[in-house]
Amino acid sequence: MYDIIIIGSGPAGLSAAVYASRAELNTLVIEKEYQGTGQIAESERVENYLGLYGESGFDLGEKFREHALSLGARFTDGEVTSISKEEAFYKVSLSDSTDIETKAIIYAAGAKPKRLNIEGENKYSGCGVSYCAICDGAFYKDKIVAVVGGGDTALSDALLLSKTSKLVYVIHRRNELRANKALQTAANQKENIRFILNAVPVEITGDKKVQSVKLLRNNVLEELDVNGVFVAVGTAPESGLLKGIAELDGNGYIVAGEDCVTSAEGIFAAGDVRTKQLRQVITAAADGAVAVHSAENYLLELSR
Amino acid sequence: MAARINQENFEAEVLKAELPVLADFYSDSCVPCKRLSPLLAEVEEENAESLKVVKINVNFDTELAEKYEVQAAPTLILFKNGEEIDRLIGSVKKTEIIELINK
Repeated sequence: MYDIIIIGSGPAGLSAAVYASRAELNTLVIEKEYQGTGQIAESERVENYLGLYGESGFDLGEKFREHALSLGARFTDGEVTSISKEEAFYKVSLSDSTDIETKAIIYAAGAKPKRLNIEGENKYSGCGVSYCAICDGAFYKDKIVAVVGGGDTALSDALLLSKTSKLVYVIHRRNELRANKALQTAANQKENIRFILNAVPVEITGDKKVQSVKLLRNNVLEELDVNGVFVAVGTAPESGLLKGIAELDGNGYIVAGEDCVTSAEGIFAAGDVRTKQLRQVITAAADGAVAVHSAENYLLELSR
Repeated sequence: MAARINQENFEAEVLKAELPVLADFYSDSCVPCKRLSPLLAEVEEENAESLKVVKINVNFDTELAEKYEVQAAPTLILFKNGEEIDRLIGSVKKTEIIELINK
C-alpha cells in the first residue's frame, strides 16, 4: 500500500515527487509517457521560470525529473484506466490490468491539445492533420497548410511553418487574434501567412491525403485547398478519470482551491488540471508542493 | 546505435538488407521522437541478431518521407525483403514496437 500515488509527470507531478520523497512518504509516480515531463517539453524556450531562464522546455523538464530521481522518487509508465474508492484507500487500475493501492492520490494529469471535433479530423490524424507543428512541419515543405486557432501557439506554429511551406493560412473563429502583439506583428510581416478570420472549419476532406478544409466564413461555406491542417485551439484538462469521483467545473477542470483539496477525500489536484487563475510552470510546481502538504495532513488524520 | 540513412543508401541499407529493418522517420526538435530514441536503442540491443534499426531525418530526406507517405513524426516502418510490413505512427510504447517487429 502506497502513501501517495502521483498521477502525471509534468512539473506539478515532479514537484510533488520531490516533496513526497523528502517527506519519506512511500510514493509512486505513474506516467502515461515513458520518461515524460509533460507539456513543458514542447516549449521552445521558457523565459519566466525563476532562476532557470532561457532554457528549452525540454531541458528544464529533464532537470525537474533528475531532481526527483536524485531524491529516490520511483516512476512507472502506465496508463491509468480507473480510480475507485475502497474502504479507507483508493485502487488505481492500469491498462496492463495491474491494480495499485494507495492511501492518497495527487492527480496531476495536466491537459492535452483540444480537437476540432469535425468530420475528417480523426480519419486524417497523423496523415494530414497534426497537433505538433515542430514535429510534422517538415512534411509540408513547399506545400500549402492551414493552422486553426488564434492564440500564441497558433501564431508560433504559423511562423515556424512559413519558413518551409509555400503558403500558411491561419483560420480563426473571431475577427481578432488572441496571440500576443509581438507574434501578431511578426506574422503580419510574413508574405506567405494569410489570415482567414470569422471562419470556423467544418470538414477536412481528401482521398488518401488531405486536399482541402471546408469552412464557414461569416456563415458562408468556402473550401480552401490545403495539404495539411495544424490544430492549435488550446488545451483541455485530462480529468476524465475523476468524473463522478470529484467535482469538475463546466470546462472539466477539477475544482480545488490553493490547498489542492478536491471534493473527494484523499484526492488532491495539482497543476493545469486544477481550477486556477494562471497556468504556468511555476504555479504547477507550487501546486505539487502544496498538494503533498495537504496529503500529509490527510495521512496524519487517517492514522489517528 | 542506429545508423542514419539517406536517400542515396536507402535501397542498399533498407530494401536490400538481409535482416528485417525497422526504420524510424524522425524530425529535428520533435519531442516524441526524442522520447522514442532510448526505447528504440533498447529494442535494437535486445534484437541485435535479428533486426536492423535505421533512422531517417525527414528534415533532410523529404523525398523518402514522401515516397512512403509518412506525414507524422515519429513514424516507425518495418521492412522485410524490401517490402513494408506495417507501421506505427506517433508516440508508442515499447510493447507496441515489439509487437511490430514480430509481425
